[in-house]
Parts: sequence; structure tokens; C-alpha cells
Amino acid sequence: MSINIRCATTEDLLNMQHCNLQCLPENYQMKYYLYHALSWPQLSYVAEDEKRRIVGYVLAKMEEDCEDNPHGHITSLAVKRSHRRLGIAQKLMNQASRAMVECFGAKYVSLHVRRSNRAALNLYTSSLQFEVSEVEPKYYADGEDAYAMKRDLSSFHQEKNHAKDKIAKDGTAHTHSGGCCDYEHS
Amino acid sequence: MPSSNPLPPKENALFKRILRCYEHKQYKNGLKFAKQILSNPKYSEHGETLAMKGLTLNCLGRKEEAYDHVRRGLRNDLRSHVCWHVYGLLQRSDKKYDEAIKCYRNALKWDKDNIQILRDLSLLQIQMRDLDGYKDTRYQLFMLRPTQRASWIGFAMSYHLLKDYEMALRILDTFRNSQMSCYDYEHSELLLYQNLVIQESGESEQALKHLDKYCDQICDKITVKETYGKLRLELEQFSEAEQVFKELLNLNPENTTYYARLAEAERHSSPEKTLEMLQRYQDLFPRALAPRRLQLNYATGETFKVLVDQYLRKGLHKGVPPLFVNLRSLYKDQHKVDTIKSLLLEYVEALKNHGHFSDSDKDLPREPASALLWTYYYLAQHYDHLGLTEKALKEIDAAIDHTPTLIELFVTKGRIYKHAGNVMEAYKWLDEAQGLDTADRYINSKCAKYMLRANLIKEAEETCGKFTREGVPAMENLNEMQCMWFQTEAARAYQRLGKYGEALKKCHEVDRHFSEIMEDQFDFHTYCMRKMTLRSYVGLLRLEDVLRSHPFYFKAAKCAIEVYLRLNDYPLPDPTQTQEIDTENLAPSELKKLRNKQRKQRRKAELERQQAAHAQEKREQHNKSRQQADPDLEQPTLDELIPEKLERSEDPLEQAVKFLQPLQELASDRIETHLMAFEIYFRKGRTLLMLQSIKRAHNLDANNPDLHSCLVRFLQHVAVNPLKGPVADVVKRQTTDIFSNYDAAQLNSDFLNKNSKSLPHLLQGARMLHLLDPSAQAKALSLASHVDGLDGVNLETCTRVLEALRNEDFGICEQAIADYTTQCEKRFPYATAFRPPESYTATTNHQALTTISDAVRE
Repeated sequence: MSINIRCATTEDLLNMQHCNLQCLPENYQMKYYLYHALSWPQLSYVAEDEKRRIVGYVLAKMEEDCEDNPHGHITSLAVKRSHRRLGIAQKLMNQASRAMVECFGAKYVSLHVRRSNRAALNLYTSSLQFEVSEVEPKYYADGEDAYAMKRDLSSFHQEKNHAKDKIAKDGTAHTHSGGCCDYEHS
Repeated sequence: MPSSNPLPPKENALFKRILRCYEHKQYKNGLKFAKQILSNPKYSEHGETLAMKGLTLNCLGRKEEAYDHVRRGLRNDLRSHVCWHVYGLLQRSDKKYDEAIKCYRNALKWDKDNIQILRDLSLLQIQMRDLDGYKDTRYQLFMLRPTQRASWIGFAMSYHLLKDYEMALRILDTFRNSQMSCYDYEHSELLLYQNLVIQESGESEQALKHLDKYCDQICDKITVKETYGKLRLELEQFSEAEQVFKELLNLNPENTTYYARLAEAERHSSPEKTLEMLQRYQDLFPRALAPRRLQLNYATGETFKVLVDQYLRKGLHKGVPPLFVNLRSLYKDQHKVDTIKSLLLEYVEALKNHGHFSDSDKDLPREPASALLWTYYYLAQHYDHLGLTEKALKEIDAAIDHTPTLIELFVTKGRIYKHAGNVMEAYKWLDEAQGLDTADRYINSKCAKYMLRANLIKEAEETCGKFTREGVPAMENLNEMQCMWFQTEAARAYQRLGKYGEALKKCHEVDRHFSEIMEDQFDFHTYCMRKMTLRSYVGLLRLEDVLRSHPFYFKAAKCAIEVYLRLNDYPLPDPTQTQEIDTENLAPSELKKLRNKQRKQRRKAELERQQAAHAQEKREQHNKSRQQADPDLEQPTLDELIPEKLERSEDPLEQAVKFLQPLQELASDRIETHLMAFEIYFRKGRTLLMLQSIKRAHNLDANNPDLHSCLVRFLQHVAVNPLKGPVADVVKRQTTDIFSNYDAAQLNSDFLNKNSKSLPHLLQGARMLHLLDPSAQAKALSLASHVDGLDGVNLETCTRVLEALRNEDFGICEQAIADYTTQCEKRFPYATAFRPPESYTATTNHQALTTISDAVRE
């Protein structure tokens, strides 16, 4: 099985919901997935196996009503336990973040994580450069607190601008900044 | 306003206030004003006021009164567009869209340029996919409001959906040119939508030109590049395509499609070329998974060995749990399987002896101790995949001995037992795993699933309940969250337990989720025009058109159809009549026991009825309060699904047909669809529909063993019910290429001869042999219960054979059953299906059997 990481389409939504229900305690009805896909079609990504089963996804959006300070938000991120340690979550997040910058000029991306979820907290701080911005008491339905976290996206902006310059110069678009090429610093 | 009964100024002012109250959701006030008009004897029957009063009542959840008032109002003023519009809105809120469309049309007869009614009509038309009607309505809206953006978009889209690309593009072009250009996201999406329309018109070159012209104004660079790549390949501009896919891979080196397209663009003449390309990308992106893994698909022989050796060592060294699932798809190739196996055996030996992967590494630093663990773990999955249960268990036990706290090991042990046919043992190991990490929902879900496979529904619900909302029963929350995997698995479990009503309830719940998702479209018809996300919107429409093609629907529908067929064949006794068992022949003590039992049952039934009624009441209240809080929620209350009613459906076959129809439309490529259709129509005695099912199945797989049983029964049916006239002609003409022989017995013996080495075929042939000639029992039995030297001898088929034996498909044959189970027990020592019933107490015989065959099939 080679994992394929690509932008999510409307056809993926039922399977994303299935993956979400298997992996996470926070669940949503299909309409909420539709709302994401039909408002910000570029921002959600999936990881699928060769039988086209979704093994991980990121469901993302832009926060509305803050036009002078556009920023994205991760509604939900999950990777099946059976597919952990392949770096899928990180790759999904980087693609979503890049798209937020590219299509909506996002300055940063935010998310919430359960206070008790050490594994996720570790992923966000160490692999994805998120920082805790505040604690939101009793954020979850069961009364648990959430950490509100943020990741600055200015490196992706540099990449975007750089790409524009480069296109102007020689017609190739790739530069090695931001998160797209984390692969290279192995 | 052509109302036949205009109001004088004072009343007219009041009427306007009713309208305003409705818009502002001040329903109580609205009713007050309505009362003021209606209490005037001159206007007590004023149509439009009555209609508006009804509409307001509807928003307060008083449905019946609402319909009374609206209908009365309409009768009193048939020429009022208000009355018709209101009646349409009422029907719409009850999801009677066809009726609502008729009402809106009547309303427009009296006020043809009413924007609001036209908009409402257009929404229903697109929801119902009345594309021609939609086009007409969008045209009228466009003519009435040519300055509005949505008018243009809707107008263009209506042509696009009718595949009139030229007209759609002309409208879009004109619109874009008339617009003030501001290069924002919406503009960008509009351009991409326009490009999509050009592509769909088949004009790749035009699409390319369009993209060249506007790509600077489009912010979604990924879609721009992907579109370029697609078009360049279509136009065979290979070197340009190559460039595009290289750029895309730089942005996302984990996209396997990009590699495939790049290979296409580079026009590789051999797999070696592709291998080289992937190697280049591995060097470029050392941390990317895809290029490394994809190489294994293309490599063969010694190259494969070298590459897979590196791949395995890397994964085992690091401890990557998905290593096996990551390589599983290579197992189609026996040579690759052998290579992998010999490498792993070498690793195990070397690691045990000196802590390296091979003897030649002895001078290097030792591998971490966990490398051996991961190697055992891999081998366990390897053997399990090949069906070698004993070896698989040996390896997984070695792994557990090595590290007794790793959850994945217990999951795998459970899975080995599941595959070997012991669902109880499987569930125990999953429960063990779940206990080691109660905060992980994935393990929790897997454990619940295994519980359901073992028919432990209550336990499964409790397990899931650890992650569902507090204060609500888990089942209810799972239903609210549209958790279809749970519901389909639960339906299967109920079916195996013979709780048919409960099984049907779960199937209907799944069906309702699909209906809900169809309804979800509604709001997006307006929303997407505003947001300009038109490509995604078209994607939504196309998705909803085939929504029930999803495997979740297939599973639920299959279960429902099977249950309804069973209820048709063995109807449940009417609960009110079961009490009249012949009491005369019973001993007094027996009689007393029976009476007690009956009394208890009655009490229980009564209690359940009360609870159901209470629940219904509560739900209605809940809905009412919700509607008061948010009157926009025009949710009609659905009938409650009551298991006792469902399993006593008056027409189970008709119910089965309802589940079947979407499959016939959307899953016609699956032979099971047509085999199920046959079973339904066979019982209904519908010759031509049986024929249709047979033909469709025959086109998919002419030699399918289950189809054969349909063919034989069809011939039998036709023999008993001779056809006359045109029907006979049709059947004759349509069956010539299906039947080699019209004599059922001959057909069957041909079939048996032709497939004498395949157990699934022999089983069906033997069943039919006995059906056609019960005196051939001995021969039929020997054909079906033979296991040596045949193809398709596996747990699933042997379980089906046993089911058939127990089901008396071969008549009464106690000895044959005993012999067969002994034989199979030897062959499948881990499976519970063939053990004597008493040693397997968790479920009854039949249930245990179907549990196994279900578990094995998936």
C-alpha cells in the first residue's frame, strides 16, 4: 500500500466522517463536512491507501469575520492508529496550511487540543511548530479544558512570494522554504 | 393582487403585520393579528388570512391545524397567489417536493413575476433534478433581475447541467466581462468553474487557452497545475506535462497520482524507467514515503530483493507498526512473497543470535532490542495473511512474550482468531487491547466491532458509550452522529440472533441517514451561488445523484433484504394469537407455566408499548421546543421505527424492493444486487422481473454458482407456470444465450460436470440436484460434502455447506452432518463453526455458524 495524500473532494466526505467516528470523540453530522467542502474546497486533505480507504484526513476552514487578519482553523485531524508513525498527520497539516496561505492569505492557523491528549500536543509543538496561545476552560462537551494553539504561517508566505518571483524569472516554481519540503531535512 | 376578496385598509394593515411577524418569526403575535381579522364576521373566511394563520401554526409545530387552515384558506380563494404559495411552503416543509412544485406553479399562474416564488420554485427544481424546469425558472429570474450576480450564475449553471456547454459559456463570458474585475477568491473560483465547463465540453485546447489567459488571476495554484497537467497529457504535449507534474511533486511528493502522471508524461518504455524516476525522487525527498514504496511495485527479481530488504530493515529498525499493511498489496505476487519471507526468516535468526539483521552485519552496531519484536509482529501478520493460523499464532505469542504491553500485538492476535473462525476468542483479545489504552477511540471502535461480530450487542454499545455524549444512550448518540459502521454491524448481529425487528430498525436508520444527506443539499443551492464555490457545488450535485452507491448503503440494504425475505418465508406469529396454543394437551403444571410466561410477556409488551409511546411524546415535545427555539428548523417528525412493527410488516417483499431499487440503479455492477432481486421476484412470482435479474447477473458472471441456483429455479418456475402469448416469446428470445439447455435436470448435470473441481459450484449444483430429485440425496450429499482436491475449499464455503446441510437443503441427514463437521473440524481446528454445539455456548448453533461465515467473508 502506498499512501496517497491529496486534496479532499465531496466524494471523500462520507469516508472522512467514517474515519472521524472511528478515531475521535468529537463527531459531526455530514452537513458540517459539506459546509467545509463547499466553503473552502482547497483546505481539506486526505490520506488514502491503495484501496482508496481513507486512513487519515484534515478538515480545515478559514475563520470568518476577520478580514484584516485572515487565519485558518483546523476543525479536525485524525490518522488511524493502524497507520501511525508514517508522518501522515504532519504531511496533511502542511498541505492544508500551504493551501490556506495560497488561496486565502492566512497569517496563521489555529486549533484546539484536549489538555489530556499528550500525543497530539507533542505532535503539534514538536513537529508542526504550534504554540499554546491560551487555555480554554471546559471547551469540550465532557468538561475537559482545551489548549488553543497557533502556528505562524509566514514561512509559507515567503514560499508563495518566492514562487511568484521565480515564475517570473525562469518558469519553475519550487523553492525550499516553509513546510512543503520538510522531507528534505531528513 | 388578484385576490378575490380584498381587505379594507384597516384589515389590510393587519394582514401585512401577519406577514411581517412571519418573517421575523414572531409567531404568537402573528396569530394575534390573524385573530383580529378573522373575528370580524365579514372576514371570518378570508382565504389569505386563513392561509397565513395556517403557515404560522405550522411553525409552532401544530401541523394538523396548519393543514386545516391553509386548505380552507385556499378553498376560499383559489385565485390568490398567496394561498398557493403558502400551501407550497407547507408541503415543502413536509418534504413533499412534487406537491410543493405544483403549488408554486399555481401561484405563478396568478402572479407570474413574483421573485420570491420563482426562487423557491427553482430550489425545489434543482433539488428534484428537474433540470429543464430549473432552466426555465432561472431564465425568468435572470430576465427579472439582470443586475444580480446570482441571476447570471444560476442561469449559466442551468445550461451547464443540461450539457449545453456553449450557452453556459456564453453567459459566463458575458457576465465576467460586465463585472468589475477584482481578483479575489470568488473571481478565482468563477474562472476555475468556467474552465471546468470548457473541459466538460471536450474542448481541451480551448480550456488550455483559457487557463493560459487567466492563470495569474487564479489563486488556487494546485488546481491550476493539476488542470494544466491533465490538459497537456490529453493534448499529448508531453514535455510541458512533465514540467507541470514535476512542479506538483515539489509541492506534494506524497501524491501517488502525480508520479503515475509523470511516468506517463515521460513516456517510460519499461518499468525500469519508472523505477529510475522514483529513485530520483527518493534522493530528492529522502523523507517522502511514496517514491520509496512505489519502487517496490515496479521492481522485480534481484532489484526487488535489494529494495525490499532496505525497506524492511528501515521499518523494523525504526519500529513502524503499519509496515505489513504497507506491503500487503505486494502479496499478489508469489515471488515477492517468497522473497519477503526468506528475508524475514534470516532477520529473525540473526537478530536472535547476535542482534543484527544478517550475519554479514556483525561488525556494525547492534539493532535495538525492539527490532526482533517488530520482526515477530511482521511475521505474524504475514502468516495470517496466508491463512497459516498456527504459525501466525506462534509468532504473535513470541512477540507478546518479548513485549507484553504493546497494544498492536493484541489487536493482531484477535485478528488472527477472527480470520481462523473464532469470533469469541478474537473479541477477547481486542478487549484486552482496549483495556491497555482506554483513551484511544480507534481501539475502542475495533473492540466494539469485534463484540458485534460475536453478537455481543449490549457489550458493544457499552464500549462505544465510553466515547459518546454523556446523558444520552450510546445507540441514540451513534444514530445522531450517523455512525453507519456501528449500525450496519449491529444490524448483522441482530439478524444472526434472529431479532429481525431490531435488525430492520438499524437498516432503516442507515437508510434515513442517506435521506438526510440528500436533504442536506437544500441549503447549499443558494449558499454556493453566493460563495462562488461552483465546482464543488457541481461535485455535490453529482455526489448526491449517486449517494446510495456507497458501500454502507449496500451493506444495510443487503441485510434488510435478507431479513425481509426471511420474514416472508417464515412469518412471525401474530402476538395476539400465540396465546391460543392448544392448551388441552398440556399437563396442568405445564399449563400454569405457560400462562405465567404469557402473562409476563403481555406485561412486558405493554410496558414496551408504554415506553415507546412515552418516548414518542417526549420526542414530539422536544421537537416542538426546538421549533420554538429555532423555527427555521422545518423538520417533519419521522415515524418512529418500532422493531415489533417492522418485523410484522404486511408486505415484506414490497419493503425489500424499496431497499433493492437504489442498488439496481447504483450498484448494478455487483452480481449480488441481481441475485437478491431474483430472490424477491421469485417469491412474488414475477416472471419477467426474474428474467431481468437473471440476464443482468449473467452478463456480469455467467458461471457464478449462486446464479446457477436462480437459473434452475427459474426453469422450474416456468415449467410449473407455462407462459403464453407474447410473454412466452419474450422469455424464449431473451434466454437463448443464457440456457444451454431448457431441461432443468440436464442443465444441472451439465453444470456439475463442467465445474466438478470447484466446491462453491458443487454446493449449488448438489442443492439443485436434491431440489429437482429428492431421491438423489446420497449423490447430492457426496458432491457437496467432499473436501479433498477441490478449489474453493475454505472456511467460508465449508460453513455455507454446513448451513445448507442443517437447513435441510439435502433433506434430513443427521449422519452426514456429523461426518461433515468431524471432517471440517480437522481441517479448520481453530474455527468454532464445526465444533459440537454444546462446547460452544455463547450463541446457538445456527447463530455461531452465520457469525463465522460473515466474519470470514469480510
